[in-house]
Amino acid sequence: MNVLFFGALIVYFTAMALQFAAMVFKKEKLGKVAWVLFLLALAAHTAYLVVRGLRAHRIPLSNQFEFSAAFAWGVALLLVILRTRMKAEWLSVIAMPMTFLILSYAALQPKEITDLMPALRSGWFAFHIGSAVISYSAFIVSGCVGLRYILLQKKAREADALKLEQMDYLSYRLVALGVLMLTVTILSGAIWAEQAWSAFWTWDPKEVWALITWIIYVVYLHLRLRGRRRGSAMAWYVVIAVPVVLFTFAGVNTLMSGLHSYG
Amino acid sequence: MKGETQRKQETDCHRSQSPFFGSEDMKKVYSFLRSMRFGLILLGLIALLSVAGTLIPQGQELGWYAQRYPTLHGALMALGLHDVFHSWYFQTLLVLLALNLTLCSLIRIRRVAAAGAGEREAMLRRANDYTLDERQRERLLARLRAMRCREETFGGATVFSKNGFGRYGSFITHLSILLTLLFGALALYLPRTVDRSCLPGESVRMDDGTTIAVESFRIENGEGRLDFTSEIAVTLPDGRESGLRTIRVNHPLAFGEWKIYQQTYATAGAITVKNLDNGGEDTLTLTDLVFLSLDGKSGLWYQAVYPDLLRDPSGNVTLITNTAGSYPNPVYQVETVSDGVFTPVLAFPGEELQIGELVFRFEKPVEYPGLRIKHTPGIVNILLCAAFLLMTAGLYITFFCPPVLVRVDGEGCVVAGPKPEGMRLEVRACMQEEETT
Repeated sequence: MNVLFFGALIVYFTAMALQFAAMVFKKEKLGKVAWVLFLLALAAHTAYLVVRGLRAHRIPLSNQFEFSAAFAWGVALLLVILRTRMKAEWLSVIAMPMTFLILSYAALQPKEITDLMPALRSGWFAFHIGSAVISYSAFIVSGCVGLRYILLQKKAREADALKLEQMDYLSYRLVALGVLMLTVTILSGAIWAEQAWSAFWTWDPKEVWALITWIIYVVYLHLRLRGRRRGSAMAWYVVIAVPVVLFTFAGVNTLMSGLHSYG
Repeated sequence: MKGETQRKQETDCHRSQSPFFGSEDMKKVYSFLRSMRFGLILLGLIALLSVAGTLIPQGQELGWYAQRYPTLHGALMALGLHDVFHSWYFQTLLVLLALNLTLCSLIRIRRVAAAGAGEREAMLRRANDYTLDERQRERLLARLRAMRCREETFGGATVFSKNGFGRYGSFITHLSILLTLLFGALALYLPRTVDRSCLPGESVRMDDGTTIAVESFRIENGEGRLDFTSEIAVTLPDGRESGLRTIRVNHPLAFGEWKIYQQTYATAGAITVKNLDNGGEDTLTLTDLVFLSLDGKSGLWYQAVYPDLLRDPSGNVTLITNTAGSYPNPVYQVETVSDGVFTPVLAFPGEELQIGELVFRFEKPVEYPGLRIKHTPGIVNILLCAAFLLMTAGLYITFFCPPVLVRVDGEGCVVAGPKPEGMRLEVRACMQEEETT
């Protein structure tokens, strides 16, 4: 089973390197090879998660390793969807390294399959954590779009104006998806917490950082929708918000103890 | 200029007459209280204080902070940073946010309803936003039809519309956040919660006369998996009975206004004491340090029961205190007291010790649950969950059901509606694709 995981990791790295080379040397064919490799890596990654789930007899989201692996998968899947449906080839050069980095973080975590602890045996488990995976992935990809926007804007021609606006709008749509799914995460977590611990909200560090992340992106949506802020300011905003998402995902579990310390 | 005017109208929450405030200054205060800017400032402050609340360990004693932060502990305590989330200023921010949401929601629903009423007529009178040639027009029409928009003809123009309800998404979202704050506060402050331990076969009696009886408790299920399951029965003061019900982690029992959670567990020692003088015998379940004696001088000090022990080759014993799971090889730590002499002893289930006229037989330890018992009006939880559902629906409608209102005529098109950005990009993409082709 580890062959699938490390195979995916190595192929992601190769795809990332080729994509970077394709951009630097302006070789379109190299980019296509990178994309095929990326799809192969995603297939292996998907197979790994499915096999792990079958072996564990549950959805593989119960610890930091499984969550990270699913998170990287979410980022990769979003890239595939955006490239396929919206022809967002320009996103690959940023989103591929993000997928690789998150999966590398997963590789550093303990990988043993363990029995699901009683506190996690709930119908809310897949719903709560699954929505968090989608939410974090959307925020990360939104940051990738923001970074690409900033890079493109520096050398943009007049013909790129529509492309920049589309990127700006895509970033907003991804934040909207992220906020919706993070809301689902927080609210389903609250209902679950009431079932498990008797209180909807306990100011646990993970809860608080999820709320902080939610507030940061809600402020973004207000600035954009009501304040009519657009363009590079908002692109910088989503890029700067990425470390907050990463801290909520990994930093809280590593540096703070609380009710969400499940390993 | 037109855009500036629109922006001012939408961001300032606005200049309508207030029934509460007469003077200009008060109007300004009212306007600020309901503005988006004030809402964002409040959210920013809540986020900043929340960061502080996670970086500074919360709810510790003064001495703990004095040791950890020798120079700063005075300031931390004075500012309430040791308990940020229950401090008066944090609670005030939440109340102000609720006020902001209330005022903004009221304004929003009036504005949304008013804007929706005349929007279509205004669009029909407007000059075209984009000029389209025949092929661009056909492409746009195909796109709008693929989006399954409603199609109506007004004079020589075709009006496409979709998701009219989408304009209410923002109102629903803000209203639901307000309701969440309100019902969340009730769910936080109304319940009375107590933690009680109860040995199997015994019961807990609450203030109102409700009785919670624990029939049995087990740590592991039949397959050896950790399970933490209690069989309990609740009897309400009016005589209603729940019958025997199973509770486990994530599966509390709700009965009447009570909710009983499987919260913790512990293991008690069980010792049968036999009096050789009169033949009397009793089995005692022991959770704390206790001295078992007839005369108060000689007898047995019960100290603790441990899950297991390790012996090294030289015979030294290490008691294992890990409590995750049942006790595979329980061992009692006791002291015998005879003629003023204290002797530490490790004893195993099935063993007996005689001290004077008393015989102590060590039984298999008894596992018992720690219950969390909550008294709460169930309706509050239902209302809060309804607010959660409303919030999710509101966000979905806001961001994934944007209203579409487009007029297409022989010369070009107009894109209207409260969120025209996405549709404008669609139109421009249609135009540019045509140019590329």
